[in-house]
Amino acid sequence: MIEELGKNLVELKKEFVRVYDGKSQIQEVIPKSKSQLFPIDESHLELLHQFATKNPIYYNFFEKQIGSVDCIVYEGDINKYWLNSIQHGSSKAPFSPTWIMSGYVGALLAKELGYSEVIDIGSGDGRIAFCAKILEIESYSIEIDDMLVELQNILTGILDFHPCCSDAIAFDYSSLNLTRPIFFIGGLAQMGGISLASGVLKSIQSMSHLMKKTGWVFAGTLSQKYTPDPKNEAGWGTLIEDNNLKSIQSISLPTAWTFHETDETPYIFAEPN
Amino acid sequence: MTSAEDISRMFDSESKKLESFFDAADSKTDMNIHEIIEAYYQIMNVSSMITMLKQQAESEPEELMEKIQETEKLISQRFDTVIHPRIMEKLSFSIQKLTKNLQSENSGEKSKEQIELDAKLFDELRQTMSTKEFVEQYENGLSHD
Repeated sequence: MIEELGKNLVELKKEFVRVYDGKSQIQEVIPKSKSQLFPIDESHLELLHQFATKNPIYYNFFEKQIGSVDCIVYEGDINKYWLNSIQHGSSKAPFSPTWIMSGYVGALLAKELGYSEVIDIGSGDGRIAFCAKILEIESYSIEIDDMLVELQNILTGILDFHPCCSDAIAFDYSSLNLTRPIFFIGGLAQMGGISLASGVLKSIQSMSHLMKKTGWVFAGTLSQKYTPDPKNEAGWGTLIEDNNLKSIQSISLPTAWTFHETDETPYIFAEPN
Repeated sequence: MTSAEDISRMFDSESKKLESFFDAADSKTDMNIHEIIEAYYQIMNVSSMITMLKQQAESEPEELMEKIQETEKLISQRFDTVIHPRIMEKLSFSIQKLTKNLQSENSGEKSKEQIELDAKLFDELRQTMSTKEFVEQYENGLSHD
């Protein structure tokens, strides 16, 4: 069901790209209501829409039928966050979000795999942690950029997904009393993701009892702009092997940075060997 | 097979093209990004030819070797010491100015039109920053020569 939902979302995105004629820097869609293609709990959809309407990165929204699906289109701009991050050198990779719907599908998969906590690393506006919270998974959102954490704090009025302004590599994960966590690593392998993931992996490996029960999700790329990893896995193969992990599932989902690309973002789910 | 005369003619033509880029750079106070990139690509093109021709220096005619020396002098005295630093300065200034403008506009509610208009300035800033990175690579090459 989740894979099907992901495929339907990709189809919806492709149709949206074809019909969209706006000029916004980023744009995404959320189905207006539950349908055969998107059999999502109405209360969950309502929370996803609230996340978008209260999120200051979106400055416009309107209804549009895309293919056979009635949707709300959200138009946004993340330039000021980019400018802030390059001014303070606070982050290794500039903020560019996954789609809210993609965050939801990713969180659904994490829940199906049996994880009880989601830790969104380099969380941007915290959308993955927010989506996990919708699904009643305890979630934590770690972001180094203070301006983005300020933004997240606006959104915690809807659901508290525990934003934390911190360097994810230096963060004390033992303070969270995690039992069966899954870490979503923000950033492509080639855009600072490797060093971020390696740092967090090192922290969790130091808690050997936890490491065995921990899942990892890496955002990959198939773009030829980047040098491929010799062990594949959309750029993450070497890190996965070096850390004695194995890839268990991959799901391709739309993201802001692949809006104009034909390939979506493959999210690689991995577990300890 | 290309004759020595063909090679000489080709080198001459590329050097002249390079000189015309330098003339254009001198006559303008404000080169656009496209012109800047074109000028650096032409430098790289001619420099690669020089490297290749020098490797077979013994078999090249004396006249061509003289042309090579002239072109090297042109790059070093006209481009590396005058035009390139001017381009770097101009790019740094543009980045500073654009950043300051965009930062000062950051507060308060904005209309959809204003946000999308500002987005073009952000694109210009990103493009200028990438151009500066590209030009810096040339400078790094100079410091390793």
